[in-house]
Amino acid sequence: MNPLESLRLAWRSIRGHRLRSALTTLGIVIGIAAVIAFVTLGASLQAGVIGDISPDDQRNLYGWAAEPNTEGGPLAGAQPVFTQDDLDAVEDREDIDAAYGYATLQTQAISNGEETVAQGSGLIASGPSYIREERIAEGRQFEMGAREAVLNPAAANQFEENVSVGENLTVTMLGGQRMDVEVVGITDNSEGLSPFEGFESSPRVYVPTNPYYTEQASMLGIGGGGGGGAGNQSLAGGEARFLAIIIEAESADQTDIDAARESATDYLESDAADASELLDDDLEVQLQTSTELLGQLQDVLNLLQNFIVGIAAISLLVGSIGIANIMLVSVTERTREIGIMKAVGAQNRDVLGLFLTESVILGVIGAILGTGLGLVGGYLGAQYIDLPLVYPLEYVALAIIVGMVVGILAGLYPAWRAARTDPIDALRYE
Amino acid sequence: MASSGTAVSLSNVRKTYRIGEPVHALDGVSLEVPRGSYTAIMGPSGSGKSTLMNLVGCLDTPTEGTVVVGGQDVGTLGDRERTRLRGTEVGFVFQTFNLMPRLNAVENVALPQLFQGVGRAERLERARDLLERVGLGDRTDHMPNELSGGQRQRVALARALVNDPAIVLADEPSGNLDTDTEADILDLFDEFHAGGTTMLVVTHERHVAERADRIVHLLDGRIERIEELNGASGSQPGTPAGQEPGGSDE
Ligand SMILES: Nc1ncnc2c1ncn2[C@@H]1O[C@H](COP(=O)(O)OP(=O)(O)O)[C@@H](O)[C@H]1O
Ligand SMILES: [Mg+2]
Repeated sequence: MNPLESLRLAWRSIRGHRLRSALTTLGIVIGIAAVIAFVTLGASLQAGVIGDISPDDQRNLYGWAAEPNTEGGPLAGAQPVFTQDDLDAVEDREDIDAAYGYATLQTQAISNGEETVAQGSGLIASGPSYIREERIAEGRQFEMGAREAVLNPAAANQFEENVSVGENLTVTMLGGQRMDVEVVGITDNSEGLSPFEGFESSPRVYVPTNPYYTEQASMLGIGGGGGGGAGNQSLAGGEARFLAIIIEAESADQTDIDAARESATDYLESDAADASELLDDDLEVQLQTSTELLGQLQDVLNLLQNFIVGIAAISLLVGSIGIANIMLVSVTERTREIGIMKAVGAQNRDVLGLFLTESVILGVIGAILGTGLGLVGGYLGAQYIDLPLVYPLEYVALAIIVGMVVGILAGLYPAWRAARTDPIDALRYE
Repeated sequence: MASSGTAVSLSNVRKTYRIGEPVHALDGVSLEVPRGSYTAIMGPSGSGKSTLMNLVGCLDTPTEGTVVVGGQDVGTLGDRERTRLRGTEVGFVFQTFNLMPRLNAVENVALPQLFQGVGRAERLERARDLLERVGLGDRTDHMPNELSGGQRQRVALARALVNDPAIVLADEPSGNLDTDTEADILDLFDEFHAGGTTMLVVTHERHVAERADRIVHLLDGRIERIEELNGASGSQPGTPAGQEPGGSDE
């Protein structure tokens, strides 16, 4: 029999039992919806986070010193061990374009003349090349050693009159000290520049580590022998230690990145480095690119994904048992119809095809409804956590195929039972 | 157009069921059904009427002997060929109509041709044509539960005829109908028979059987006697081959 005719007849009998058919597909719907919703969220999350990494960021290695195998992403368990001397020495090595410290300085407020706005997110202290040339919309990068700052648009626009290049701002630090900065540049957008900051948009003020971090560090006593007690550090010694460092490879090529990583690690762990005094078995240098850092996030996502897929598999199994059960009931119920069809010339394979088609339709309907529901769920989820929506279309195709396969597997035995029904018995059946 | 050759022939057919004691549902039956003939089968309950119909209808195979339908020996055919033979050479009319409940009248009539791979348009056209001929031209789109018993049986008759079968088998076709509708259906049988269709009708009712050219009386799985009726056609070429009333045990 022509498959189109099977489809027509099978669809007829499914429509004859609307409610039953709908309930039958529920297991499939739930299973597929769970997978699709999660995969949509996962893909959106990935696009939302990884999509923000500019190609030029790819050559940056983000570094800190922590116990080996510390879980938790950037800076987890980090200790301040790196000195400016270390960074200068690293920068001079082959395969490395730049090396500088990274720190967030806690602030209370920023004033522009008369106007003062709260600035809780602090100053981001780093090296000049942290702000890539192409991200500067106006002005220039700050210079190391100068009292200069680059603002992002969100920071510049938070004043009544937008701050522009050349103006002076007064920053009130958490401890109450005031510092003057001259705005020398404005960036093109307000998204974060590295995984140390996070990639979300917010007002940010970028300054050089010297003098801003070195002054603060000496005041708070960060670094030095034990990194401990306050005031044991002199400014002149320049011995402020950095928790976080950024090392730029010559390019984003994996070979260049690996070379830079090896070269920097070699130096920092050698006796020549100040850092090595503090590095021991419990503390080692971690240097990772954004992509590698996000890979850890990816691992967590994958774990969750496997979990959801497991649940979905169970749901699909239950769903297919449901379909098989209903198909068996349906075969028994329609014994007489099967007898009629055979009496008027239906071959076994026609009957088999008819019932198999019916269960495949149920499976595919379940898959389609599940996909729809899952996409809506994924959409709502992505909206909720404010991510760009990415529909994983290959999974939609996969879901339909899974629905078909489930339908075939669930329908095989009932359809076989239907096909081998004896027409004489079937016609006698009441 | 009357007969030319044999539509169905049975020779020494035995059908034995073994559930503990063997039961000979048919016990050495030989019968020729000429093309274009109209045969009635009568007999008490359990005499083997349905078994005979199942064999002629290619639903079953004999334990012994041969059943030839449309020139082919049913017993030697595999399931697939037997099904094809059934689909093309036999049309069934049942006591309980046996229409497909979710197909409308015209789709029910077209169903046998679906399994023969006939295209939908062609199928439906032929089915409408036949419904017209059984007087249901205005009911083609009705579902079976929207039709009366007599109308359903007419749909069933149209379905039985759709593949131009060698023989139409009717098992108590008027058993569920009142007297008037019974007469209508039997008139239709006469009409198609006059048009050349071979009819084999099982019935309990003498007046139904009397529409035929001859009546085959079954008793305990054997042909008890064959009664020739003086219908429109006086002579019947296909008289029983073998069995005489009270014939010998074989
Ligand atoms: N499938 C079967 N299994 C066992 N015995 C059967 C079966 N079908 C029919 N019979 C027996 O064969 C005999 C003839 O049955 P049947 O052809 O149905 O008679 P009728 O239709 O004349 O009433 C009966 O004795 C019946 O019990
Ligand atoms: Mg019977």
